[in-house]
Amino acid sequence: MPEISNEAAVETPVRPTQRAEMTKWQWTWKEIKRNKTAYFMLAPFFLLFIVFTILPVFLSMLLSFTDFNMLEMPNIVWFENYSRLFTNDEIFILACKNTLIFAAITGPVSYLLSLLIAWFINELPPKIRAVVTLIFYAPSISGQVYLIWATLFSSDSYGWVNATLMDLGLINAPILWFKDANYVMGLCIVVALWTSLGTSFLAFIAGFQTIDRSMYEAAAVDGIKNRWQELWYITLPTMRPQMMFGAVLAITGSFGFGGVVTALCGFPSVDYAAHTIMHHLDDYGGQRYEVGYASAIAMVLFVIMFASNIIIKKALSKVGE
Amino acid sequence: MKRTVFQKLMCLVLSVTILSGVLATTAFAANGSAEGGYRPSLDEMKSYLDASSYEEYLAEYRDENGDLPIPDPQVLQALGGIVSIDVVNDLKKEYSDYAENAEASYGIVVSESKYSANSYDDYKEAWKNFAEDGLTYEEMADKTVYLSPESKGTWDVDVPATGMYYIRIKYFNCETTQSGISAIERQLLINEAIPFTEARSLKFNKTWKYNFVKTVEGLTAASGDKQGTTTVYEQLDAGDTYSGVTVESDGYYKFVITVEGTKKSVKLYSIDGDINGNSITPDMVQDSQWSTYYCQDTTGYYNEYFAFYLQEGPNTIGLKGQREPMIVGAIDLIPIGSDADIPSYKDFYAANGLASKKPVSSDAKVTIEAEFPDYMSDNSVTIGGDNSSSATTPSSPSSQIFNTIGKLSYSTVGQWAAYTFKVNETGLYKMSMRFKQNALQGMYVCRALKLKGGIYGDSAAVPFKEAYNTQFDFSDDWQSQYLGDGNQVFEFYFEEGVEYTMYLECSLGSLKELIKRVEDAMKTVNDCYLRILQLTGATPDENYNYKFQETLPMDLIALAEQAKVLADTAKAFEELCGTKGSHIATLETVALLLHNMSADYGWEIAANMSNLKSYLGTLGTWINDSKKSTLIVDSITIHSSNASEKALPKAKAGFFGSVWFEIRSFFASFFTDYDSMGLREEPNDDAVSVEVWIATGRDQSNIWRALIDSQQGFTNQTGKAVKLKLVTGGTLLPSILADKGPDVYIGLDSSSIINYAIRNAIVGVGAEDYDKWQNNGKMTDEEFNELKTVVSNTYYTIGGKDYRADQLPNGMTVAQAEALVAQNKAFKSVPYMQITGERYVPAAMDTIRLLGVYYGIPSGMGFAMMFYRSDILAELGRDIPDTWTELMALLPDMQANNMSIGLSYGAAINFILYQSGGSMWRYADRNKDDYSPEYEGALIGLDTNVAKAAFSWVTRLYTEFSFDVSFDASNRFRTGEMPIVISEYTSTYNTLTVYATEINGLWGFCALPGWEHEEDDGTIRIDYSSICSISATILLHGYSDALSAWQFMQWQTREDIQSEYGNRMVAILGPSAKYESANTLALEGMSWTADELTAIRDQMDNLYSIVNYPGSYIIGRYTEFAFLAAVNDRADPVEALMGYIDAINDEIYRKRAEFDMPVLEKPSDLE
Repeated sequence: MPEISNEAAVETPVRPTQRAEMTKWQWTWKEIKRNKTAYFMLAPFFLLFIVFTILPVFLSMLLSFTDFNMLEMPNIVWFENYSRLFTNDEIFILACKNTLIFAAITGPVSYLLSLLIAWFINELPPKIRAVVTLIFYAPSISGQVYLIWATLFSSDSYGWVNATLMDLGLINAPILWFKDANYVMGLCIVVALWTSLGTSFLAFIAGFQTIDRSMYEAAAVDGIKNRWQELWYITLPTMRPQMMFGAVLAITGSFGFGGVVTALCGFPSVDYAAHTIMHHLDDYGGQRYEVGYASAIAMVLFVIMFASNIIIKKALSKVGE
Repeated sequence: MKRTVFQKLMCLVLSVTILSGVLATTAFAANGSAEGGYRPSLDEMKSYLDASSYEEYLAEYRDENGDLPIPDPQVLQALGGIVSIDVVNDLKKEYSDYAENAEASYGIVVSESKYSANSYDDYKEAWKNFAEDGLTYEEMADKTVYLSPESKGTWDVDVPATGMYYIRIKYFNCETTQSGISAIERQLLINEAIPFTEARSLKFNKTWKYNFVKTVEGLTAASGDKQGTTTVYEQLDAGDTYSGVTVESDGYYKFVITVEGTKKSVKLYSIDGDINGNSITPDMVQDSQWSTYYCQDTTGYYNEYFAFYLQEGPNTIGLKGQREPMIVGAIDLIPIGSDADIPSYKDFYAANGLASKKPVSSDAKVTIEAEFPDYMSDNSVTIGGDNSSSATTPSSPSSQIFNTIGKLSYSTVGQWAAYTFKVNETGLYKMSMRFKQNALQGMYVCRALKLKGGIYGDSAAVPFKEAYNTQFDFSDDWQSQYLGDGNQVFEFYFEEGVEYTMYLECSLGSLKELIKRVEDAMKTVNDCYLRILQLTGATPDENYNYKFQETLPMDLIALAEQAKVLADTAKAFEELCGTKGSHIATLETVALLLHNMSADYGWEIAANMSNLKSYLGTLGTWINDSKKSTLIVDSITIHSSNASEKALPKAKAGFFGSVWFEIRSFFASFFTDYDSMGLREEPNDDAVSVEVWIATGRDQSNIWRALIDSQQGFTNQTGKAVKLKLVTGGTLLPSILADKGPDVYIGLDSSSIINYAIRNAIVGVGAEDYDKWQNNGKMTDEEFNELKTVVSNTYYTIGGKDYRADQLPNGMTVAQAEALVAQNKAFKSVPYMQITGERYVPAAMDTIRLLGVYYGIPSGMGFAMMFYRSDILAELGRDIPDTWTELMALLPDMQANNMSIGLSYGAAINFILYQSGGSMWRYADRNKDDYSPEYEGALIGLDTNVAKAAFSWVTRLYTEFSFDVSFDASNRFRTGEMPIVISEYTSTYNTLTVYATEINGLWGFCALPGWEHEEDDGTIRIDYSSICSISATILLHGYSDALSAWQFMQWQTREDIQSEYGNRMVAILGPSAKYESANTLALEGMSWTADELTAIRDQMDNLYSIVNYPGSYIIGRYTEFAFLAAVNDRADPVEALMGYIDAINDEIYRKRAEFDMPVLEKPSDLE
């Protein structure tokens, strides 16, 4: 291993002795002053991050203990929202079930799909690769393009699928695809997968590009037998950061997949068949003006996402072992 | 690195899949009820569809040489050449109230309608200000007949000689109390029958004028003043003096200076400017005056006057009211072949001896700027600013100065603008115009040039036939040309000092025959299409032999014929216009399709059915476009007849001139202050103002801005400024949260109103019982009491100051204040319960009431009505169904012909529930014994037996009678697959007007089918009710001044303002911009036809509402779940619904408890 010294960047080697003489806060403050340029550069983003991300989460946590109705002063109700949520709200339990099914299927599948397709595309010559990448990425950048599914599976007898099936004589009357509890969940999962080749897919492609070619040569010398081994032992471990990024996106995407379902199935979906936690949140926050209760739902969703992130992180660390 | 075949294959497959997905997507992206229920009978529909056209009518009376029978001139000679009808004494006295009514002695026909009382007042009102030949009102009234819009006047006439006659009517357009823009419309009946289709609707134009002319007499001519009449255009500032006249405000002026010796008079036209120099639209008023009218066509297809065949002996002539009142002064029958015939240009030239007249000198030029019209035919012909060229006079790079007419709507056949002028030399003239015609590519538009005064007579008429065809060619840019018909430039003879009026009327000119041919072809093909549709359905099997040559041989022939007609027409157009633009190519495309379909015994028909329908749509749009003769006019100049081309006004600005103009206007655009548009004075910070938000489109908000600033506008009447802001839909809620909201918000839907109201976010403005109306704690008691006083009292705003009716200043009486209000000099605000009681149906008021308090004033109201295709029903030989029983009886016939009925289940569940006597809520129906003000909305009413029956009845339509659950209503209505569609009235009407142009006139709408109830006495009562949805204008907390905000709300929802708003929408955005005002009194003034108005009124009298009480959101979703369970899984609908009742009641209970409202758990709790 070549010796790359990090100590070259440290200007004051005497620091440890000084640190011992200070309290922790004093030392922190001193360090902040010393690196003030860095903090200054970081400040704009950090300010926005606090105001628009940390603060709302914190606020939402506070609101979840109140009966805030969006227009009037809230009263504190402590854990009433949570107790109602878990003991007296059947629809919430249903929504949890739907969300988990949805996430369990779309999350991993879309993740693997992105990875595999990125891997395939990576093998193409650069010019073709650029074009094919665009083609794959297009559905997720063109906004509400998923509405094509509403046309395909329109309940109208002139909807493409209905018309085709009727022409073939398979059905006599149109099927109300997005209005039929038997089909709603399945269709939504398909649509979710179709739109999922988004940012994470791009990140994967970028990840593949950054791999040092010499690693493969070295591996070949060391006795790698096939492409799968190459993928598992070299490619994937090397692009772990991109994979983590993709995983986070996949999780948040699969848990937060609400808008598309609403656009396709209406709100709420028939018999709550595709009613996820996101929808439940919308229902209480937007339609019933019970923001306190909606905040409690949001907190539960937050905890679930947070937990699954930790699990994924653990799982990813096993890649290549 | 090696690539495996598998990988390559995989890539290929995946990319193709996704690529096709993307392409497909892109491709797609490119792409209470006693009366009511009036509907035309089958016979009426049939007679309407089958009625002969004027052409066919004439053909009936032509002899073998093609000549029409001329009444014997010698017989008529004795009568002075014409047959005059004594309008008062020859009037048939067949009306029940005619003999008894004292008013009858004045020769007034007052109809049996409920409006008769108003009408008589209108009549008197009209006469108070007007007297002809020094006659007083009483004297004059004895000689005229007043016809209300609902009346029919029939006159006996003894015709001396058999033959064809023109009918000439002298009429007076009364100012109506409403600001009705529509022209007077009458049906002409000869011997109690409509002679031909075109006589169904004769339009008598009203005369409109801008209120901007002032005459200053008695001036003394200065030495430099030219003798005769001079016209000068000037931009002046307030206080400037020009030619002895001092102007009062900044603006743009036209001076018509007449000097005779030392006497001088000035006719001053003025367009005021705002503080930034933008022109402010002058007010337009109706000009009541006598006009002479020859019965003629309103469609533009016939240029000559209508001739009617009358047999010798007693006949009757009738005028049946359609729209607007009129006063008839004289009716004359004029035989054809007399002076009334319009001569050709050659005959005109010879008859007036123009050949011997001399051209005038080149100094005798008169320029008429088109932005100063003297009269207009209707109030949508407006002046406007055009900044596209610096050669337009006047022009300004930085501000909008009115410099043209016709930018918005001056394109419908029959619309005209008129200009008066005088010349200083007698002799021959010709006219030129600077104009822009960039609407019809490859075609020309026409104007009929009518003249009045001097040798042209005292009624406006074309001097010769060719004048109908004054032609304006297409160009993207401005043009200048001498007026002519394309072959020759017209010459006119004008005399010095005589006042002439020139009318430029939209006409189809020489294109009329061709356009009519296309329209007839479209009708024929449409009929063929319907017959084929009935045979094959909308998606025929391409591989099946339908044997059209045996089943529909005539239609095959018709298709072939029409293909030829269209191809020939396209050729004729090309010859006429000299070029072949894309507009004409459309015809050839359609012709080709028709040709292909008719060939090969109709083999291609099946494959091309959907094409045919879309091509028919194209054809419909083509006809609409071709009939629109859009022309923007900058100026008209009257030249000497020997003026050269060089004398024409400059059409285009020079290159450097226009570049400099563009640069200046680009930089000026950075400094334009759009907020201060229309302000006449710099805003004063102390002045009271109302902040209003509106969340519609820019056009709508511009119209409101213009209305607020207009003569009848809020600012003008109260002296209070209005800050109008256009916001996006979701802005209101956050603004309430942040306490930064407006004073007044226009157009909030009723469910949000109840949601906000129950959370104390908006302010109640009325109460059923003012004593029980409590302050909810959001306002101080002082504020609350002020508001209560304001909304429960009458106020007058006089000269910018507010006075309560019992505290008027200086001994002014209420009557005096009322008089000021009537003259638009004061503003009156009326107690809440009083105005809403007059203006709105009770159902509308229910939706904005919560616990006895009303939140806001309704502004928009929508409801479902029944749309029907009269051509298809007539073909099936069936009446429009009056009840659901009749509708169901019609169903088998329709389904046998591949047709069905369009009914959306969500709406159907609601209105069937109410029609059959049920209710969504228990204890909420004010007409029932169990009504309870505390418990209305506490329990769902869907578990009653009536409701169960209604729900299961609706569900059965979809499960047993295969109604479509999901469909595109307007598309299927248009293709004829759904000849009956039940749908929201304005949105459907608007869509069909622009989207389904090929079926114009073949459809109508009426009240919903009714539910039959057998009463105790055995009679049948039919309930036609529909369910209304409301949006309202609301008041928000933190308003700055209660009275001002309240006055604005009243003003904005007032009937004249609402109908004016609706009319301006139609004028600017076209006929598909009909506005659904909730104010029932506003309907009258909007541009609905008489039949449409009857239908809408019918439905408005039969409305229920479903109030959004707390927790109501839960109902819609659970009824839908129950319905879908029945449709998808064949569940029992009632059982499915009952399974949700507890969940619904629980949610309502929970929600009401949240707001401390009285709650109920079960129906039995109350009993």
